[in-house]
Amino acid sequence: MQNNKTIDEIMNFLPPKIQWLLSRCISDHILNVEEIRLRLNKPLIISGSNWDFFIDSNGFLTKDIKNAYVTSKDDIKKASEIIQGFSVYSFGEELKNGYITIPGGHRIGVSGKTILNNGNVKIIKDISFINYRIAREIIGAADKVIPYVIDPTSTIYNTLIISPPQCGKTTLLRDMIRQLSNGIKTLNIKGFKIGLVDERSEIAACFLGEPRNDVGIRTDVLDACPKAQGIIMLIRSMSPDIIATDEIGKDEDAQALMEGANAGVKIITTMHGCDIDDLHRKIELKKIHSNYFQRIIVLGKSKGVGTIEKIYDREGKILYLST
Amino acid sequence: MLKGIGALLIIISSSLLGILISSKYSIRPKEIRKLRFSLQMLETEIVYGSTPIPYACYNVGCKSDKPWKDFFMRVSENLLKRKFFSLEEAWNDAIVNSLKNSYLTSADKELLRNFGRVIGKSDTEDQKKHFKLIYAQLEHHEKIAEDEKARNEKMYKSMGFLLGAAILIILV
Repeated sequence: MQNNKTIDEIMNFLPPKIQWLLSRCISDHILNVEEIRLRLNKPLIISGSNWDFFIDSNGFLTKDIKNAYVTSKDDIKKASEIIQGFSVYSFGEELKNGYITIPGGHRIGVSGKTILNNGNVKIIKDISFINYRIAREIIGAADKVIPYVIDPTSTIYNTLIISPPQCGKTTLLRDMIRQLSNGIKTLNIKGFKIGLVDERSEIAACFLGEPRNDVGIRTDVLDACPKAQGIIMLIRSMSPDIIATDEIGKDEDAQALMEGANAGVKIITTMHGCDIDDLHRKIELKKIHSNYFQRIIVLGKSKGVGTIEKIYDREGKILYLST
Repeated sequence: MLKGIGALLIIISSSLLGILISSKYSIRPKEIRKLRFSLQMLETEIVYGSTPIPYACYNVGCKSDKPWKDFFMRVSENLLKRKFFSLEEAWNDAIVNSLKNSYLTSADKELLRNFGRVIGKSDTEDQKKHFKLIYAQLEHHEKIAEDEKARNEKMYKSMGFLLGAAILIILV
């Protein structure tokens, strides 16, 4: 049921031909699809956690490339018009970053030829690669990690989630926010006030201001705001206990995090990477003191998407190791 | 007595025919003017509100008069319900189907069609330019329409009356 809803949300943003193919597809795989990939004059591919398939011209999944439906120029053209809401002026700014977030929190990534202006990407034109990434809300994804991030003396530890793409970073973060915000009776945790800076509209998936995903009852969402500014704004305006944000990576993000720490606010955030070393290797984040994060959670795929591989404490000691 | 009523009926109906034909000339400039107002609202939605086209057209449609209410509503619906997958197609469909009963000439529609090709396709600054251009073009068309109205409206009205009179003379 849940899955049907998610696939329908994506369907509306697919070009007609591909919409038709997928609507005829009755395999169970379609319910667990994670990515739908369109590449100009290349076969249409749908993929899940550890599988991918072509689709033939009748909508059946196939492994045989000879039967695969080939994405046409028309498909790409229509898809790029649809995902921009037929309005370049409105979504051009978002598209500059290479993706657009649609209602439901799904992300559509694009790639093509970039046009530069003063060394910065001005627009992406001649879009020929499109990736529909389906976001899933998994209630209970954070059950395992919550006990590790609770600080018995105050609120929680500053926590960083490190993971390669497609390993459930955002899903985990969203569920942590939900649980910490609602409070957890069994662990005797009262709910915390959480300020969520949702720069990519992925975590809460706000549409017209209302979160589509469950992020808890004590959560204030600052939607589509740049992280660095948003963190400072929320500290001043909403007096949060915890600030949550996604995918830090810029110089100013690091600075804002430090400022948040000085204001006595706890932080939960995520970062792309494979292990704890990647944190120290990123020069942009050098402003963050090496022991700023008191808990570091590393995600991987060793036992399926969203496996919690390791949890470190601030000295780099391993508290939990997936076996 | 009966003859008198018959004569009156002939005069009235032929005069009405004249008015009907002449209204073609008086309604067209009004329609063009209303289009200009609607497009101005659309420009505000686009330039200041950054509202995506489907929603912008809906908002404009709500505030517009006939026939533009139907036109913008149809564009919006075409896109939101995914009846068409490009703005140009949705726009052209609305031109064909929502403006059937309007008095716009094919040149007016061609102007609108060309505008459908550029709207939504570029950033705010560029969109402003396209709006400026179509305002100028519409003003030009409006002026021509007004001229035609001045020339033809009266003529058709009096011709209708004269036709009735002529029929009467022949019959009597």
